[in-house]
Amino acid sequence: MNEVMSKTIVTAKDGDKIISSVAMIVTLVSFGMLFLTLMMAFAMFRITAPVWPPAGMTRPDLFLPTLSTVMIFLSSFFYTKFEKNTVAGNVDRQNLTATLVLGLAFMLSQFLFWNHLKSQGIYVSSGVFASIIYAFTWIHAAHIVAGLGLLVWLYSALKSADKMTSVKVSSVGKFWHFLGIVWLIMFVTIFVL
Amino acid sequence: MAFFEQEIHDAPTTFLSKYVFSFDHKVIAKQFLWYGIAFLGIGGMMALMIRWTLAFPGQAFPVIGTLLFPNTNGVVPPDTYAMLFTLHGTIMIFYAITPILIGAFGNFCIPLMIGARDMVFPTLNMLSFWLAVLSALLLLVSLFTPLGGAAGGWTSYPTLSTLIGSAGVGQTLWCLALFVLGVSSTMGAVNYIATIITLRAPGMGYFDMPLTVWGLWLTAVLNAIFLPVLGAGLLLLTFDRVFGTTFFLAGAAATSGSGDPVLFQHVFWIFGHPEVYILILPAWGIVSDLLSFFSRKPAFGAKSTALSMTSITILSTLVYGHHMYSGQMSPLLTQSFMMLTMTISIPSAVFFANWLGTLWKGSLRFQTPMLFSLGVVFVFGLGGLTGLYLATVSTDLYLHDTYFVVGHFHYTMAASVLLGGFAGTYFWFPKMFGRMMNEALGKWHFWLSMLGLNGIFMGMMVIGHAGMHRRIYNPFVYEFLQNLIPLNMFITYSALLMGSAQLLFVYNFIHSMYKGPVASQNPWEVGTLEWTIPSPAPHYNFAEIPVVKCGPHEYGNPNLKGKDFQYQTEELVKA
Ligand code: HEM
Ligand SMILES: [Cu+2]
Repeated sequence: MNEVMSKTIVTAKDGDKIISSVAMIVTLVSFGMLFLTLMMAFAMFRITAPVWPPAGMTRPDLFLPTLSTVMIFLSSFFYTKFEKNTVAGNVDRQNLTATLVLGLAFMLSQFLFWNHLKSQGIYVSSGVFASIIYAFTWIHAAHIVAGLGLLVWLYSALKSADKMTSVKVSSVGKFWHFLGIVWLIMFVTIFVL
Repeated sequence: MAFFEQEIHDAPTTFLSKYVFSFDHKVIAKQFLWYGIAFLGIGGMMALMIRWTLAFPGQAFPVIGTLLFPNTNGVVPPDTYAMLFTLHGTIMIFYAITPILIGAFGNFCIPLMIGARDMVFPTLNMLSFWLAVLSALLLLVSLFTPLGGAAGGWTSYPTLSTLIGSAGVGQTLWCLALFVLGVSSTMGAVNYIATIITLRAPGMGYFDMPLTVWGLWLTAVLNAIFLPVLGAGLLLLTFDRVFGTTFFLAGAAATSGSGDPVLFQHVFWIFGHPEVYILILPAWGIVSDLLSFFSRKPAFGAKSTALSMTSITILSTLVYGHHMYSGQMSPLLTQSFMMLTMTISIPSAVFFANWLGTLWKGSLRFQTPMLFSLGVVFVFGLGGLTGLYLATVSTDLYLHDTYFVVGHFHYTMAASVLLGGFAGTYFWFPKMFGRMMNEALGKWHFWLSMLGLNGIFMGMMVIGHAGMHRRIYNPFVYEFLQNLIPLNMFITYSALLMGSAQLLFVYNFIHSMYKGPVASQNPWEVGTLEWTIPSPAPHYNFAEIPVVKCGPHEYGNPNLKGKDFQYQTEELVKA
């Protein structure tokens, strides 16, 4: 028992770290299942269709999706730098701003992409391939908007830097990288393959 | 895992912070309890209307009928009938059972039983409740839209649920309501999982947790994994309805390029089968604990009970295909799903045998919580056995979509979970409100409910086996079902009995809250942590975080002097 007693009170910092990483893992599993279900639907349509894209649809131009991929990849890259510096103790707003700007640029490229699809004659109701492209990018973009909100919120969290700050920074980071990975998977499976 | 002690916050003082926007897990638990009980009443009234229509087609529903259906002089119209069974199912599962078992008992029991001062994320907890309220509002609003509420069944299969099947905005609101509720429950799940992992009192290993907490934690895991699956399905369905996507619409060009209604069935049941375990696991946990508490014996094979619940949780993710045998699934797949489903019987039999082992040679105290627990043993045993006929492909092809299914899932999911919920309510009431519920009324409530419930659901199995379909408005237009009129009337009378028995409960609950005898700290003589603190629990729960030294089921130890149980904070007494 004595051994247990001595472990009773850990510094709040360790406790917070453990709690937030447990919570973050569970949260990301939940979000992951949402996107996994979407991918399952895509896989089912893709595998059972005799020709792909189905119903005489043309593939959308790859230029804008590729641009989006580059943006989101770079934003994650700058976030990593931001996180490393901030956890080490020097609050690094520059790289956070870079992440935010690239995130906004990602959203912009998505809007351009949706417009482009329309100009190509691909509408939401143009069959199942169009359904997949629109619905999946919408759902992903909605999460990106939430992620951008979290990035903005980090600025205020950085102002009152305390021992929780690093926990906040790494949690938001996990979410942001997660969205990048989801986009990458979507890009490869839906657009490239 | 490191232990982590939460600080004591000041007690809230204003009415709003104390009763409405409270961060206190115990207050949130009570909020969920009221919410669930209210919806139990609404869902129950809907069930009575369904039953009335089946027994007395064409006759006005008594008393409130003319108020609700003025255009037909009080008779339930056919399209309303479809809404009634849809909303009854939806409300009972998501708005009555889920808030009571997971919202109320999850919130109340987890921190108290593991020796914590609150959940790890109190704000998230409060948010989870208010999102559930928002969801309930969306659902209730849907009833007042021009074409009425959702009518595609609680499974909302396309094309019943796409614009072709239900044009009104009611179905869309139903999708949104369930989506919001899913978000709320997922928040709860994150909170429960993190709390159980990080806030267990020092000395409490996983196997020192009461089985109630085991059940709740497995439920939370399933919730976190599978609610998003439903969420994805609902989003796509909403897109189909609102924006014109074609995920679940099979058009003229069905060979290529159009959507697939069966896809939704897959998505729904990938979520749906775990969902039924989400509902039952907390009840199993509560019952496993209470049987030991009131038999004054250690829970027989507690570790194997916990492990078999865990293996059921894992297996439950692999069996969803048994809901789709009649959907032209390849025989290879149906056989595989049949085998996997049958495999669940093994762990189920283990913990069921453990329940009986706990009772064996115990000195049973037949107080109300124990009666309800024994009720669960009975109805779950019966319901579980009838599942085998539905798991077997050859018999299911006949039984599918008959009242046999309705009887089966009400026995397992409705009756068992409801009785488990009542057992928990009678048991933790003293810790929630500081007063005892009336025993005599509780016993009447139990016996009348048991009588009613078995009349209803046994009757349903019989008429189902005789070939009566579910979800039909008037069975008596079919000649071969006309012999079943007396049985259908019997079921409806039983339902009326069951419904009126619940009035006893409501009266007992409200009356005891204010007038019941004041409860002592430990009225049931039980050793888990929540009984080491005063009743009702103070807002900080534990003035000092307890140190756990033995398991939750230490009863009848011959070395004990003067009492037959010990608290988890006491060193195990040895000879
Ligand atoms: C004890 C009182 C209850 C009675 C008398 C009752 C009765 C009924 C009836 C008559 C139906 C319609 C069956 C049909 O026509 O297909 C039904 C459906 C259903 N009930 Fe209950 N029920 C009760 C409690 C519950 C509870 C507590 C739950 C939740 C766990 C529940 C879940 C369902 C579900 C999911 C359906 C299927 C709805 C659908 O077809 O979409 N019921 N019930
Ligand atoms: Cu199932």
